[in-house]
Order: sequence, then C-alpha cells, then structure tokens
Amino acid sequence: MRRTIVFGWLIAGFFLQATAYFFLGAKLGIPQSPANSNPRVPYAGLVFICGVMMVFISAVIYELLPDREDKGQTGDVRDGREYGR
Amino acid sequence: MAQRVGTYTYGSEPTERLPYGIGRVTGPWLFAAALAAGAFGFGVYAYYRQYTEGEVITGMRDIGTMGGTPWGLYVVFIAYFVGVSFAGIILAALIRLMNLHQLKPVARIAEVLTVIALVCAACCVLADLGNPIRGLLNLPRYARPGSPLFGTFTLVISGYMFASLVYLYLDSRRDAMICARVPGRLQTFHRIWAAGYRDTPAQRRRHYTASFWLAIAIVPLLVTAHSTLGFVFGLQIGRPGWHSALQAPSFVIMAGVSGTGLLIVAAAIMRRALGEQERLTGEVFRWLNNLLLVLILAYLYLWIVETLSSVYQGGEQEVEVTRALFTGEYATLFWLVLALLLSALALLIAQFFRPGLALVAGVTAGVLVNVAAIFKRFLLVIPSQTHGPLLPYSPGHYSPTWVEYGVVIGLFGFGTLLFIGFAKTFPIIHLPEAEKERAA
Amino acid sequence: MPSYAMAIDLDRCMGCRACMEACKVENNTPEAAFWMYVFRFEEGAYPDVNVSFLPRPCQHCDNPPCVKVCPVGARYKQEDGLVLSDFDRCIGCRYCEVACPYGVNYFNWKHPEENYYLDWDDPELEEVTGGAVPPYANPDLGQPHGTEGRNVAGGGNTKGVTEKCTFCVQRLEKGLLPACVANCPVSVFAFGDLDDPGSAVSTAVAGRPHFSLLEEAGTKPRVFYLGENPISRESKQLEEVRKRA
Repeated sequence: MRRTIVFGWLIAGFFLQATAYFFLGAKLGIPQSPANSNPRVPYAGLVFICGVMMVFISAVIYELLPDREDKGQTGDVRDGREYGR
Repeated sequence: MAQRVGTYTYGSEPTERLPYGIGRVTGPWLFAAALAAGAFGFGVYAYYRQYTEGEVITGMRDIGTMGGTPWGLYVVFIAYFVGVSFAGIILAALIRLMNLHQLKPVARIAEVLTVIALVCAACCVLADLGNPIRGLLNLPRYARPGSPLFGTFTLVISGYMFASLVYLYLDSRRDAMICARVPGRLQTFHRIWAAGYRDTPAQRRRHYTASFWLAIAIVPLLVTAHSTLGFVFGLQIGRPGWHSALQAPSFVIMAGVSGTGLLIVAAAIMRRALGEQERLTGEVFRWLNNLLLVLILAYLYLWIVETLSSVYQGGEQEVEVTRALFTGEYATLFWLVLALLLSALALLIAQFFRPGLALVAGVTAGVLVNVAAIFKRFLLVIPSQTHGPLLPYSPGHYSPTWVEYGVVIGLFGFGTLLFIGFAKTFPIIHLPEAEKERAA
Repeated sequence: MPSYAMAIDLDRCMGCRACMEACKVENNTPEAAFWMYVFRFEEGAYPDVNVSFLPRPCQHCDNPPCVKVCPVGARYKQEDGLVLSDFDRCIGCRYCEVACPYGVNYFNWKHPEENYYLDWDDPELEEVTGGAVPPYANPDLGQPHGTEGRNVAGGGNTKGVTEKCTFCVQRLEKGLLPACVANCPVSVFAFGDLDDPGSAVSTAVAGRPHFSLLEEAGTKPRVFYLGENPISRESKQLEEVRKRA
C-alpha cells in the first residue's frame, strides 16, 4: 500500500516537472513574439519547483508512513542489541 | 557496557548529557559565534547601504561604453557557494552507493555544509539583484524555462537544497531519537525531528532503501544543477572566454574541488573541537585527500584543454581575453591560481606516499584550493567583460568596493553562524552506534 | 503587422552625434547611458589618417540573446520586430547585459532623482531655464506602450532595471520616426517596414551592398549598414571610455 502511494507520488512529481517545463512555462525556441517571454500559465515556475520537491518528499513518505510491518516490533539500541522482533 | 565517545558516555541509564556539547554554550564557541555575528552584522550594514543608495556604490558598471562589468564579486561568490555545495551530496552518494562506511562520520558535516552553502548562494543572488523583492515575487510567477538562469533558481537553489535537506533529515532521525532520550530544553525538538523513529529492523531497512534511491536521484540532480550554472556562462556567444562547451563540466569538477577542500577543513576543525580523533581517523582524511587529488587533476585537464583551444585558433577577442589573463592585467591572479592548485596537488601527492601527513596536507590543500577556486571564478567572470566585448570598445576595469567585500564577508559570517549553531543543537557527527550495528 | 528595421548609411555619417543627443532628450536617459552611441574610429598615422564613424543603436535582433536569457520575460520580442524591456517586471539581474554581443544595455545603478545631468531642485537652475524645470519632460514616458501595453518607454525612471534603445516605441505608435532618425542633419538613417518594398529602409537596402554587425554571432540583427565596415584591426577609438563617478 505504501509502495503504491510513494510510487504514485514520485510519478506525479516527475509529471508536474515535465508539464511545467514544456507546457506551462513560456514557449521554448527562438523568440519571435511575446509568447516566448510570458508563461502560458502563471506560476509555472512554482509548479516546476513543487514537482522537484514532490519527488524528494516521496522518500520522506516512504520512511515515515506507518505500515503493516511496523506493528508488533520494538527496537532498542541499548547495548547495540535489538529487543523484540 | 559503557562506551566513551568524546564527552558522552552511554550504555548506562539514564542518559544525562547530550553528546558533543549540544545544548551547552562554551567560551570558545561564544567567541566564534561573536566573530561570525560581527561579520554578519557588517554584511547587513553594507547591504542596507546598497539597497537604499543603489548599486552605484559597488564597483560594477555597464559593459561597453562605460567600461565596467555588470557582473562582479556577487556573481563570483554565487558560483563559489554553489560549487561548495557539491561536498555533501557526493559524500552521501559515495557512502551509500559505494558502501564506503568509513566515511560515515563526515557525512553530516558534508550535508550541513551543502545546505548552508546553498542558502548563502541564494542570499548572494538576492544581494546581486537590482530589485530583490521583485525577484522573489516575479521569479515564481514568470520564470522562463528557456533561460539558463531558470535552472539556477529552480534546480539548484530550490531543488538541490530541498533534496539535500531531505537527505539530511532522513539520515539523522536515528541520532535525533538517541538525543531525544536526554531531558532538557532540546528534547521536544529532537523528538519532533525523530518523528517516531524507533530503530526497528523494518525502519532501518526502509531507511537503507530510501537513502540508496535518494543518493541515486541526487547525483544526476547534482550534475544537472552545476551544469546549468556552467551553461549560464557557456552559452553566451557575446562573451568570448565564456562561450565554450567545456563550461558545464568545468563547473561540475571545480565544484568538486572546492567542496571537497572545504569539507576537509570543516572536518578537521570539528575533529579538533569535539575531540573525535578516534572516529575521524587518518584513513578518513586520506580518502578525502585522494578524492580531492583526482578532482584537481581532472580540473587541470579541463583547464589545459580550454586554454589550448583558445590560444591555438581562437577568435580575435578570445585571444585578447587570453592575453589579458596570461600576460596582461590579470596575469598575477592567473599564475597565482595555477600556483595554488599545483601546490595543493603537490601536498596531496606527498600524503599519498607518506600517509602520516594526511591531516596536515589535507587541511592545507583544502584551504589552498578554496582560495584558488574563488580567484578562478573571478578570472572567469571578469576578464570576459572587460576585455571580451566583440565591438571595439576600449578595455574596461573592475575593482570591488567595500560594499561588495562587506556583503561577501557577511555571507561567510552567516554561514559560519548557521554551522556552529547547528553543531550546538544536533550531533554534527553520526553517533557511533550506527557503525557498531553495521559491523554486527 | 509591420516589420521594423533600420538602415544606416555610413558614407553619410559625419560623427556629429546629433542622434545621441536626440535620443537622450526623447528618452530621458540617465548620465553616461547612451542608448544610441556613435563610435569614432581613427586609422593610420599622420598624414595618412582615416576617421570613420559608426552609429550603434540596439540591433533588435531576430535571434536575440537578451530575450533568450531573461529569467522572467521582462525582455521580450514583439511581432513587429522590436525588442523591448518591461521595467515593471525586470528584476535587475543584468543577464541581458552580459549576454548582448553589442553592449547596448544600460542598468540603472542609482535612484532616478540622482540619475540625471542636472539637479532639478536647484534654484539657480530654475533661474537659468526661466522657470521651466525640467525644461522638457517627455509626457509619453511612464505610460504603457507597445503591442503588449507594458511600461517600456523612457529611461532612468526605475532604479535597478536594465534598459536600452526601443526604436522610440512611443513615437512609432504616433506614426513618427525614432528620434535619432528624425533628427539626423544628413539623413544617415532610413527606418520603416521591411515588408513594404516602398518603405525608406527597403529602398535603402535594395540598391546597395550592406552588412550587419557581428553577423557571425548568429543574432540576425535588424540594423543594416550601407557602405564600408569601418571596424578593422588597425582602428582604435578616438576617445577613452568614460565611467560614471
């Protein structure tokens, strides 16, 4: 379940980046009109940055989101040994 | 089974003191903080003067008829700070991807150095802008992907910094959990940082996987980020001396040189300050020194290729810029940079054959290459503007004023404050249990 | 939609720099900012000296490096060929200035009040000008102009932005010629619609061999020079570069 969420989040992040770069920002190419200098959607740059951040937040979600396998385990670092399993 | 690490004894219950002097202000720390704060205050004053009076009080002027350089010391240090940020990620990648666990003690120093360097780079960008508030408002709204600076603002300053913060955070939850056991003012802070980390085998496994993939993801981000900064210069046909396909790789390698050098210096200082001679061993420094050696050799190679290309059959203006560097107005600085890099190289080769010299050679080389990196960035940014114009304007001149020096000194003070502030609230060196378990 | 271009006849130019003055008055550019600049070259040694002149406005390139590098799109290209700078959006990074191969950009380093040749608050000045202070302030500046209706006209009125020659967009909208073109005493300039074969610039370019500056840079400038290119290895500027205090 967690893997699905993380993977989906990751793909969404890359998707946002690609969309923002190629379709939401100013038109790429040799400037021939103001369309090359104005973003097609305002705050396209912010969308791109959100995409980059989402890709890396997926790692945080992967580590922090509690899942089935966490239950019933305790960990303890006293004396470097693990207690419970 | 109590184990003595620095000033911290654990394995006995209850734990009483946080390791590495965290949460306890000492005399030498206060002295360092005061110096850094003083530098920061001076920088704030210098920037205040610049903000109110305009950038006319800097040494920058318009290119061409005014014979000045619109990009000056600020851009030099933007390139330098972004370069220094190379350190953290390459180390994290090396440790995780190549299983070099002996380097683990320096990992957090490197990651913190990366984040602080990027914060300083961002502040330096704002200091350089003619309208910084407008910059903060207009950049998210209007940023153009077609501009090389788009990569700098988004990938470097936002993406790269964020990725490093995530890596730093995830890598340090375990130490936060250990620190959260000690009652005190910082306990809540450490508890929030740990966010429920209980060091179960499942959590450790997940962290291993996550950090592995993070390291794999951050390395291309690092190459892209430094390359876009190289593209800012390398794509400009109008600036002979900048226009070169080698700028992108050159920036990546120079970043490695300055970042690794500064990391060696910071690690040596922390080793002394925290008494961690047992964990920040000669072997750690030897490894870092060898990495620096390889990077310097790679950089010298790129430099030679670039110079030969422009000298053999360069355009007229490119030859003019090269002349200004070799024998003209910038000759002293040029040959000084070469001398600094070669001296660092000699020291590092010496410690390769005499391992006992590792620490001293490494720290000296680290300082030398960072000074060389700053001067080399200066030699990149300035001569192409003063001697490079393609139309026959007379040669220009640039000398920074106290304002520019002040802001830069303020930024170094700010970075130092952040670093030593972090070291007082969180372990700057991984707590040793992590290694014990890996060995078990 | 017209396609503006300019032709400069170097055989006619005598280096009087009336175009520089006209540009300055029309656009209110600050000290030491020369949106229109005229190079003065000297070649050879006495008695075989050759003096030549080269007016250099913004070239309004069709492949403009300044537009391509602007991070916020403050520098933009209109469909009629003009490259304009929006002072409301510009963040003052000066990337356009370092990217331009021709060196036509000027940054406002000072506050507008301190940016001009004269201190308008000076009572002595009021006496000299007979009460008209400032003697001439172009009312068109500070208004929105251009096909996008943005703040692009005039110079020196916003601290911390980069600006340059606009082909006097505020005059073009009124059907007038740019100030440099209109004020040249020896008709060096021809300006008009390149798509119209009968326009002044088309006629000027059609008949004679012409060149553009730095063609090898690939910027595709819209300023065509008639006559011989005065820039050579032996030519040097007649005067030193002046820097603002």
